[in-house]
Amino acid sequence: MRTRAILGSALAAFTVLGVGYEVGQAATAVDATSATGATDATSATGSSGSSSGSTTNSDQTSSSSSGSSGSSGSSGSTGSSSSTGTTSSSSGYADGTYTGSSVSTRFGNVQVQVTISGGQITDVAALQLTDHDGRSVQISNRAAPILREEVLSAQSASVQMVGGATYTSQAYLSSLQSALDQAS
Amino acid sequence: MNLHWSTMGTEASLSMDAADDELAARVAAVLARADARFSLYRDDSELSRIAHGELDLVDASVPMREAYERAITWRSLTGHAFTPHRPDGVLDLSGIVKATAMEDAADVLDDATGEWLLGVGGDLLWAAGMRPRLGVVDPTDRDRLLATIRPSAGRRALATSGSAERGDHIWRRHDVPAPVFTQATVAADDIVTADVLATAIIAGGEATLDSVTEWFDVDVLTVGCSGELRATPGMRAAVADARDVQAPGMLPPGSART
Repeated sequence: MRTRAILGSALAAFTVLGVGYEVGQAATAVDATSATGATDATSATGSSGSSSGSTTNSDQTSSSSSGSSGSSGSSGSTGSSSSTGTTSSSSGYADGTYTGSSVSTRFGNVQVQVTISGGQITDVAALQLTDHDGRSVQISNRAAPILREEVLSAQSASVQMVGGATYTSQAYLSSLQSALDQAS
Repeated sequence: MNLHWSTMGTEASLSMDAADDELAARVAAVLARADARFSLYRDDSELSRIAHGELDLVDASVPMREAYERAITWRSLTGHAFTPHRPDGVLDLSGIVKATAMEDAADVLDDATGEWLLGVGGDLLWAAGMRPRLGVVDPTDRDRLLATIRPSAGRRALATSGSAERGDHIWRRHDVPAPVFTQATVAADDIVTADVLATAIIAGGEATLDSVTEWFDVDVLTVGCSGELRATPGMRAAVADARDVQAPGMLPPGSART
C-alpha cells in the first residue's frame, strides 16, 4: 500500500512535469474524487500528497503498463467518459473538450469538463456539483465561526448523555453527566 | 437501565434499553481489562513496566503492540499532531486505549442489546442506527452545556478533548507555541477516529483543524481561547437537528432538571 502510494506520487510528479501543472491538477481533481468515493474517509485521507498518489494508482490499475512519464500522461483521459476530441498518443493532449465521468463523493456528485487548446488546458468547468437533493453545494468541510447562542438549544435534562473533556473523577463529579446519572 | 461507575481513571456511564446487570458487568470488565494493561498510574500495568524499562515493547503482549501500531499510524495520519509519546519519551497510549476499549465494549453491547449509549471520560459511543441527543460541556463552566447536538445518521461517536490549563494529558507539538483551542469536539463514525482527531486538533491548533476537516469525514466544534466557537457544516446541522427534536429518549420521566 505504501509502496504503491510512493510509486503513485512519483508517477504523479512525472505527470505534472510532462504535461504541465494544470493538466496534472485536472487529472488529480477527477481521480481524487473517485478515490474518495471508493474508499472510506480514513484511508482516503493520508495527505493531500497521497491523494495525488492515489490518482496514479488508479491509472496504474487501469493500464498496468504505465511506467513512463509519457503514458502516465494518459491520466487526463482516465476521467473522460465522453470526449469531443481525439486522444493523442504520447505528447500532450489533443485539442477538444473532454468530460469526466460523474463521480459520487460524500459531498454529492462531481463532474468536470476540461477544454484543451494548443495542447494546453484552457478551461476547467464543473458541470455537476450537487448534493443528494440536487442542490449545488460548496465542497468544503471547514470549521467556520458560529455564535454561542446558536449551539445551545436545550437544558441538560433533555439530553441523553453529556460529552466533554473529563480528566479525573473529581472533575467529573462537578459535571453535568454526574447530575444526569444521579437523576436517572 | 442507566448505570454509572469509576473506571480507567475516569467515570463511565451506560444507558441501554435492556435491564441486564450481567451485560453491564461484562462491559465494565472490558474497560477494566484495558485499564489494567495500559494505565500509567498503576505501577503494575504492562505499560508502566515498559515505561520503567522492565519490559521491551518488542516483548510486550499482542494487544500492547497492536495499540502501539495503531497509535503510530494515527501519528502519521495527523501529521504528528497526535503522538503516543510524552515529551519525556515515555510511551503513553491513553490517547488511543480508551477509545479502543470502548470499541470492544461496543461489540459486547451490540451482541446483546439494540439500543445503548456508552460514555467513558466524556467520550460517547452509541449503537448503530441511533441518533441520540447529546450535550457538550462548557469548558469554562462544567455545570453548563456549551451545545446540544444530534449527530447525523451514521455517526456513532462523539469525542471531546480539552487543553492545558485543565491539567491536560495532551502534548502539544513543539512548533505550536500556545493552545489555540481550549476544547475540540469531534463526531465521527467510530470512536477511535473521533478521539484521536479531537486530541490532534488541540495539540496541532489551527493547521490541524483545517487538515482534519479537509481529509476526514467528521463534524467538528471547537472553542477558542477567548471563547469563540467554530463549527463545520455537519456540526451546524447536528445543532439544528437537536433543536428540532425535543424528545429526550432514554432518560426516564421525572429526571427533568432546571
